Amino acid sequence: MAMKISIDRALCQGHSVCLGECPEVFNVEESDDAYPQVVLLQETPAEELRDKVMAAARYCPNHVITVTEV
Amino acid sequence: MSGAVTPELKLPPKVSGEKPGVGHMEEFSVNFARFLMRCNDECGELAEYNMAGQQTVLMSGPAAQEAFLKGLDKHLSRAAAYQATVPVFGKGVIFDAPPDRMKTQLKIQVDALRYQNMKSYAAVIAEEVEAWVSDWGEEGELDFLDEFIRLTLNTACHCLLGADFRYRMTAEFKALYHDLEKGLQAIAFVDPYLQQPLFEARDNARARLQELISEIIAERRADPDTTYGDALETFMSGTYSDGTSLSDNEITGLVIATMFAGHHTSSGTAAWTAVELARCPEYTADILEELTALFGGGQDLTFENLREIPRLEAFIEEVLRLHPPLVLLMRRVIEDINYEGTLIEAGKTVAISTYGSHRNPVFFPDPETFNPCRDRASTPEMMWAYIPFGGGPHKCAGNAFAMMQLKSIFAALLPKYEFELVDPPEDYQDDLSAIVLKPSSPSRLRYRRRT
Repeated sequence: MAMKISIDRALCQGHSVCLGECPEVFNVEESDDAYPQVVLLQETPAEELRDKVMAAARYCPNHVITVTEV
Repeated sequence: MSGAVTPELKLPPKVSGEKPGVGHMEEFSVNFARFLMRCNDECGELAEYNMAGQQTVLMSGPAAQEAFLKGLDKHLSRAAAYQATVPVFGKGVIFDAPPDRMKTQLKIQVDALRYQNMKSYAAVIAEEVEAWVSDWGEEGELDFLDEFIRLTLNTACHCLLGADFRYRMTAEFKALYHDLEKGLQAIAFVDPYLQQPLFEARDNARARLQELISEIIAERRADPDTTYGDALETFMSGTYSDGTSLSDNEITGLVIATMFAGHHTSSGTAAWTAVELARCPEYTADILEELTALFGGGQDLTFENLREIPRLEAFIEEVLRLHPPLVLLMRRVIEDINYEGTLIEAGKTVAISTYGSHRNPVFFPDPETFNPCRDRASTPEMMWAYIPFGGGPHKCAGNAFAMMQLKSIFAALLPKYEFELVDPPEDYQDDLSAIVLKPSSPSRLRYRRRT
């Protein structure tokens, strides 16, 4: 089993919780005139990042991040 | 929803009881949450009512609410629907700004609520709550609505405007704020510029608040090396895409808009949470057990420690289901909509009712029963039925701040004190006289220090 991450950018308002929890996987792209938005740096990160990825998904205030097992 | 309009489209069914001239205004004004539930019961998914000439289509149920909440400003305009906020927030601010500037202002507003700031806000809230309870003594009786209005005004000011402003706040500031809130009653959504003492007080309050906030802005501009870590600093450093900064008027407006969005919504929810805790001793005992496990060793109420308190969260979520602070969300239709074969014409208003949605027995069986353990979000459909913070691209950006603050307050209070109702349980009702829902006054509770 490995993690596969998907994000729904339409829901993202750039709160940056994911970046705080797991900067290895998530970045937040700044924008001049719209909400900053999450960018996925790795879609299938290594197993040792599981706890951090799960925290990012759980604490995202807008439920942007979905983790599935593949 | 699609824009393709064909001739055989139906029109939304109309709600009965319309009166000449005023339409449904009178019934709406008595209790708009109940009026909207009647509209839905009578007409179903779409129900058209008349607000003194403004035709409004209530959209009910998860599918219709999803279509509403996913609507973009160019199709379903928030600005056109929320002109009542313009005299409160100010000219040129948010819903009175051109679309590009509005977008940037909202982005700068959210910047102030990001992860990094949240950590310092958590510390500020813990400090404020501790100061607030410090003179409670062994036992007593308080009106918790008044108390939470005071506490959350302090926390909002402190987090958003810094310690400076917070400790220089005067009774004048609170009174001004109160006048602004009164300026957003239902009548303001018909015409916010009527000649009324209510609106005159609102305008005087807006002008005076700008003077107070401008003073702080001027002081900070004169001392550019100091950092504050609060929202005002974020607002003052924010820029439009052409590099220009926000004007004093816009910064003041953004401060007012942010305080307004966060203050009364939080105080009303906190007061209802306290009342429901007093009404439900069995759930309160479970939460106390949870808090003891998490904080019994003297752990601080930091952002990290507050992230996950499942029983308390579920309790607050249930408070938000039965007593959603914003009952009615509105948009103005910019171009004709075909919603599942029904034509909603440009110029009409569309609305959704969180209060009605949260009482739909299909999704929330036995809806009037307070049950923290019930399902509120297990399926995508439930997520569009349970919408205390709205949803989609315009979801309330303060939702994480609000939850964090509520958790911090009750994680501090519950281990220290127990609460009981002063008045009969049925005396604590939803008060819908202002646009933000709150418990009816007085909301008296008795507290006693735990041994």
